[in-house]
Amino acid sequence: MSASLAAGLSDEKLLAAVAGGDRQALRVLYERHAPWLTLRLARRCADADAVSDAVQDTFVVVWKSAARYQGGGAVGAWMWGIAIRRLIDALRRRPRREFHSSERIDVEPSAEEQVLLGVEHGDLAGALDRLSSELRAVVQATILDGLTSREASRLLGIPTGTVKTRAMRARIQLRKEMA
Amino acid sequence: MSPHVQSELLAAYAGGEIEGARAYSIEAHVVECADCQAAVARLVEPARMQRGWADIEDRLDTPRPAAIEAALGRLGVPGHLARLLAATPSLSVSWLGAVTVALAFAVIAAHESERGLLLFLCVAALLPLAGVAAAFGRGLDPVFEIAVAAPFSSVRLLLLRTAAVLPTTIALAGIAALTLPGVGWTAAAWLLPSLGLTVMSLALATYVAPSRAFGGVTAGWLAIVVFSAIDAGDRLAAFDSGAQVAFVVLALGGGIVLALRQDHLDLGRTL
Repeated sequence: MSASLAAGLSDEKLLAAVAGGDRQALRVLYERHAPWLTLRLARRCADADAVSDAVQDTFVVVWKSAARYQGGGAVGAWMWGIAIRRLIDALRRRPRREFHSSERIDVEPSAEEQVLLGVEHGDLAGALDRLSSELRAVVQATILDGLTSREASRLLGIPTGTVKTRAMRARIQLRKEMA
Repeated sequence: MSPHVQSELLAAYAGGEIEGARAYSIEAHVVECADCQAAVARLVEPARMQRGWADIEDRLDTPRPAAIEAALGRLGVPGHLARLLAATPSLSVSWLGAVTVALAFAVIAAHESERGLLLFLCVAALLPLAGVAAAFGRGLDPVFEIAVAAPFSSVRLLLLRTAAVLPTTIALAGIAALTLPGVGWTAAAWLLPSLGLTVMSLALATYVAPSRAFGGVTAGWLAIVVFSAIDAGDRLAAFDSGAQVAFVVLALGGGIVLALRQDHLDLGRTL
């Protein structure tokens, strides 16, 4: 398939072409998805090499298992599920480095952003932001990234039991704030 | 679908300036919004993305290692060694298949008569030797030129291959021997001859071309076996206890010669 033809296709069509061994289709998928996957993984891991490895692994997995994509969800979400698990694998293989948990001072959100967030999350956004960074990291890993407690423990470098107790504490605090 | 995240907000996200719920909100949106994915793509260093794609292509182009190479790798054998060992003709599936068929026929013959048993012992004793000879062969080895040109002692490679071929073939012959009719120790009478013949051939290969060494030892030994079998009273004379002791001596002697003269074992020039 030519580059210009591939560039006009939907993710699902490209994935079907990848399943048929079309490398140009994989390239277009890479150009579409690798950048945001890289950024999103980088927010969860300070080791840039591990992030790059995980992104590459992801597309090698996509190449081999494109036929197994069932449809039903966004291709991006499917790829994210692969990428975050590849990152956890990459972290397991290499010596641990400092986990990226530095708390930056948020700039005051603009009025538009406030509205945007309000529409999407209601009070949840504020409640999430008021969680301690430890609890928020666990909520991010287990709820927003959809990891199991075990996977989250590997990603965050804390014991599985700690993941569970922090998730419970976060849930209690969120429920209290939303009530 | 939520409204598109503004480009300034995406830039701040890409720069790592956004934390918490606002970042989650952006991530939840970007995962399914093609426009924002394209906007993010413009914010990431292009060189890094290019390098990533080049690495992916490299990995897709790398051939998958053969099953035996992958198995050796898992056992802790370094990659280059695993490849050279896996390329050994006498470790290939076709070779091992041929060995199995030959042994099967020999076992069937051994069930028929004592002459058949003699045939089995000859086949079982010579198969490891043939496997090692094939590991030397220029005509059979797919990586012959590479192995000769590699900055890697060819002696070391041959001995490594021998070390890999011998146990494999001996294991197959051993399994076949278990299916022989009740003949006691005779079922294992090929083991010492096979070792002795192999070591002797290798020792001889330090003097003459390997093909001659293997051919000469095989022919000479077969002649002795046939000659000693003429006496109908003791057809298995070439495998009796005296012969077993002789093969132990030959194996030890051959091993010493091989150790002393290993520098003369040069497949590149002598073949």
